[in-house]
Amino acid sequence: MTATPATGTDTGTGTGTEELVQRPPAEVRYADELAALRAADGDPRPPGWQLSLRAARRFIVGDERAGVSRKFVGNAALVERALVTLATNRGLMLVGEPGTAKSLLSELISAAVSGSSALTVQGGAATTEDQIKYSWNYALLVSEGPSPRSLVPAPMLRGMAEGRIVRFEEITRCPLEVQDCLLSLLSDRVITIPELHGPQGLVFARHGFNVIATANTRDRGVNEMSAALKRRFNFETVFPIADFDTELALVEAEATALLRQSGVEPPPRRDVLEVLVGTFRELRGAFGQGERMSTVMSTAEAVSVAHAVGVRGWFLRGEPGSAADVVASLAGTAAKDSPEDLARLRRFLEQEVPRRKGTQWRALHDARHLLAD
Amino acid sequence: MTNTPPADPPAPDAAAAGAGVATASAVFLGVRHHSPACARLVARAIETLRPAYVLVEGPADMNARLDELLLEHRLPIAVFSHYRDETRVATSWAPLCEYSPEWIALRQGRASGAEVRFIDLPAWHPAFAERAERYANRYADAEARYARATERLCAHFGVDSVDALWDGLFEVTEPGDDLMTRLDAYFDLVRGDAEADPGDRAREEYMASWVRAALARAGGRPVLVVTGGFHQPALRALADRDGPADWPEVPAPPEDALGGSFLVPYSFRQLDAFSGYQSGMPSPGYYQRLWEAGPEQAARGLLRSVADRLRARGIPVSTADLIAARGLAQGLTLLRGHPYETRVDVLDGLAGALISDDLDRPLPWTTGGTLSAGTHPVVVEMVAACAGEAEGRLHPDTPLPPLVHDVTERLVRLGLADAEGPVTLDLTSAGGLMRSQVLHRLRVLDIPGFTRVSGPADGADPVFTERWQPGRVSGREAALIEAGAYGARLDEAASVVLGERARDAGPDVGPLAGLLFDTVLCGVGPLCGELLGALAARVGRIRELGSLGEVLAAALGLWRHDRVFGVARDPLLGSVVADAADRVFWLAEGLHGGPGVDFARLRALAAARDALLHAPELLSLTREAAAEAAGRISRDQRAPADLRGAAFGLRWALGTPDDPAAAVRALASAPADTLGDWLAGLFAVAREEVVGGAAAGGEPLVDVLDGVVSAMTEGDFLIGLPALRQAFAFFPPRERERIAQRLLERRGARGSARSLLRTTADPLLLARAAALEDNVARLLDRYGLGATR
Repeated sequence: MTATPATGTDTGTGTGTEELVQRPPAEVRYADELAALRAADGDPRPPGWQLSLRAARRFIVGDERAGVSRKFVGNAALVERALVTLATNRGLMLVGEPGTAKSLLSELISAAVSGSSALTVQGGAATTEDQIKYSWNYALLVSEGPSPRSLVPAPMLRGMAEGRIVRFEEITRCPLEVQDCLLSLLSDRVITIPELHGPQGLVFARHGFNVIATANTRDRGVNEMSAALKRRFNFETVFPIADFDTELALVEAEATALLRQSGVEPPPRRDVLEVLVGTFRELRGAFGQGERMSTVMSTAEAVSVAHAVGVRGWFLRGEPGSAADVVASLAGTAAKDSPEDLARLRRFLEQEVPRRKGTQWRALHDARHLLAD
Repeated sequence: MTNTPPADPPAPDAAAAGAGVATASAVFLGVRHHSPACARLVARAIETLRPAYVLVEGPADMNARLDELLLEHRLPIAVFSHYRDETRVATSWAPLCEYSPEWIALRQGRASGAEVRFIDLPAWHPAFAERAERYANRYADAEARYARATERLCAHFGVDSVDALWDGLFEVTEPGDDLMTRLDAYFDLVRGDAEADPGDRAREEYMASWVRAALARAGGRPVLVVTGGFHQPALRALADRDGPADWPEVPAPPEDALGGSFLVPYSFRQLDAFSGYQSGMPSPGYYQRLWEAGPEQAARGLLRSVADRLRARGIPVSTADLIAARGLAQGLTLLRGHPYETRVDVLDGLAGALISDDLDRPLPWTTGGTLSAGTHPVVVEMVAACAGEAEGRLHPDTPLPPLVHDVTERLVRLGLADAEGPVTLDLTSAGGLMRSQVLHRLRVLDIPGFTRVSGPADGADPVFTERWQPGRVSGREAALIEAGAYGARLDEAASVVLGERARDAGPDVGPLAGLLFDTVLCGVGPLCGELLGALAARVGRIRELGSLGEVLAAALGLWRHDRVFGVARDPLLGSVVADAADRVFWLAEGLHGGPGVDFARLRALAAARDALLHAPELLSLTREAAAEAAGRISRDQRAPADLRGAAFGLRWALGTPDDPAAAVRALASAPADTLGDWLAGLFAVAREEVVGGAAAGGEPLVDVLDGVVSAMTEGDFLIGLPALRQAFAFFPPRERERIAQRLLERRGARGSARSLLRTTADPLLLARAAALEDNVARLLDRYGLGATR
């Protein structure tokens, strides 16, 4: 079974050469680390797991001494709770604001636990039960009748049969009745295929199967989920990064990498990034409580603004981006389609920024007119 | 034991002689305050060492009163210390519970026949002054100072908070672990990283001098020194140095200062770091169980009490949930390598299994610090279950807190002790003011006795007398004893209570303005400043423009006018004004809404205007910036009309008026009542400018209005009339008369403007009559009967 998704169109060969893949999955990106952790893993492993809990934890939160990079910047207890949950009979529900690295965390966990993060259901308004459990190859179904050959397994069925973690992204965007098809699957740990007779009609979950669902609190919160489904999950809320320096370092690293990919030579200026990250953190909530932006002000958004700032500076003027570029780029991010957010941003620039000390804050204030009306 | 030490320290010469014969050794036990594991270590050390002296970190001025401390109290209790002089006010608590290492050292030490001494400087000593925290806790951790070391350790062990780190390393361990060595290593590490401030060094010098004196007198037997781990490495080094071996003197407060210590009952709720007191270790209820019954029972007890509490609150907790919680907790215990479930393992397990919502803020035990508003109810119950509900009680023989005596004495001195009829006080006389302040202080402390009948309502109120009605006196003593926990003197106690109320006010700021005035009424002197500081900190978080306006107006009024209470031009009051004025603009610019006049928010803008005009030196906001912000508000089509009008008026009042004619004409196309709302805002803020006609040229406003109103259809006029009337109500009669005169002149009519204003009937009634007449006429027209008109 090839877990690697189809590659770019023009390769045509289907060999899936990694360097052409924009973003290889975690198990490919960190194949070396996973292999090393597996080799050195002496702790007991839950049945069906590729790594022990401790090794999986080390894979995610990092371990300098063992040469394992830190992949998830967030609190370690959350990762521990998540891993232990997956070793029990409850699913794991990651909730939080968009852009708080929920999907990254679920990808890392499944790569660590099952060695693959490819069994993914992407939730959406059009998601159907077929895409979750199984569907049929209708040509075969017509010619041969229902048989294991004509059955097309979807991620849940495969995850259960193979004993692997299945990721369910944005579960709350699915219609409620579709969400509820997980109920029996999570409690009885079996899928019945009524068209098939005999033992083939029942697929039992093997050890190692569990579900990681993610849901963001902005679209349709978890409040609408049925209580029955809720209680089959343990909830973990993923928060924006609490520490300024950590967030700054992350934004710097990510933005530098992105800029290099876009052919921008100079790395982003640290003082400009400080102002940028500071602005994001303020708008996210510390300032003017109760007046949260309706737009998402996540770290991921900060990275994309930092990227845009660098691109503007370099390709328009041949220099690293400035505070003025921050203002120009913020208009597109912070105020996507909401005039209230734009007004809030303007108020922040007009009233709050002048109180800050530092040349870049001053530059930010001076550039406030760049915020389009 | 042959040479039992005498009850009193032997004379120095004898001790020196003794030291020559056998050298006593000191055992330094560094502890974390409120740690059961450390308490157990202390108990074991006393048992095995049988020391001659047990020296404990604690206020040395309490040494004479150790008997009082060791009465059969029900714990937790605290040693409350207070101090006041010309420049400084300090209060502090040294809380003790059953599992406090200090408490065990005192009790067990005494029981084993050792001499027990507190060896730290008194709480009032300037060495503590650098702990800026007002409600200082002697046994708070020095954590803030060695944060870097503990951060590294947390990262190394992969835990999120120092408490979790500590539990895993020390509290919940295999029996027989060598805790002592590990503790020493831990404290060496954190001390190595931290900067001891001059205050710490002074305290350590002082404590070391006690150790040297005890060593000289121990007659070769060990001396046990129990102090915070932070001080232990330094003490060990200092005690080895040569120095005088006399018992150190206990510093006495300076002549002009007042200070002292007494015992107060304490509670686990106060002790719990999550609910605010900086106490080092959170969750006293849990640690009490850990102390009494060990880690397994403590974990089980915590689980049970969380389930009980939640069920009592009607939050469903199924058996399946509890199984899941328990399973999770055990899994986490294994994953984290703990021999038993720790507090955080249990809490994490419960949180994972019981909370099926997204949280608004991180779980409190992963971040440390206090619980904030908006914490998930399940989490609140979990934290409360950890905190426990135990409340201390003092032994009946314990001396009463000095507040009781202070109040009694004051009331007698001021002739208020046996007042029977109403008391009238003249606030302009020193005596009257002093009495008033005492009564107000009793009032804020909720001490029954006097009720205020009348008096000034705010700083600008020209009322100079106050009347008080004496009432029931039963329960006064009990209330006073309770209030004694707030301070030794009435003024101090009142200020502590006011400070707490300021902090407890939460996001609801309704009471803030009142609190500010209370503070002034109580005249709590320099403490007033701290309260104002707390208020200033809160002002920045007010969300309601109306209540913010009240705070601003109250503060500004006091700052400008107060002569009676003597706080005019107070700089901290000024900072409240400054912050509130800034905040008014922040809130005003974000305000959107529909029609209607909100007088509270208009008053807020008027208060901001006053601040800008009369106290510009206080504000960081410049007049230009304010005018710009006001300009933006007045142009913002989604801002409520009254606010837009007020912003427009503000620009006018600030001397940068826009053309009112254009603004009014722009409003003519809006719904009929918008004009009235807008005018109400304008008149509320810039009435004088409007009357003075100080427009930026062009037509006077009244003329423009006349034109617009005359052009209204009958129907629109009737819709707009109530709002217009409301707006013109801002003018006093004389000014209204001038406007009426102007209107008469415009029409070339002659007559008395006054009679125009003094209609015999309510104008609304007249308008309704006109409407009725109009209706009738139309009806007649419809049936062809109108020709007769």
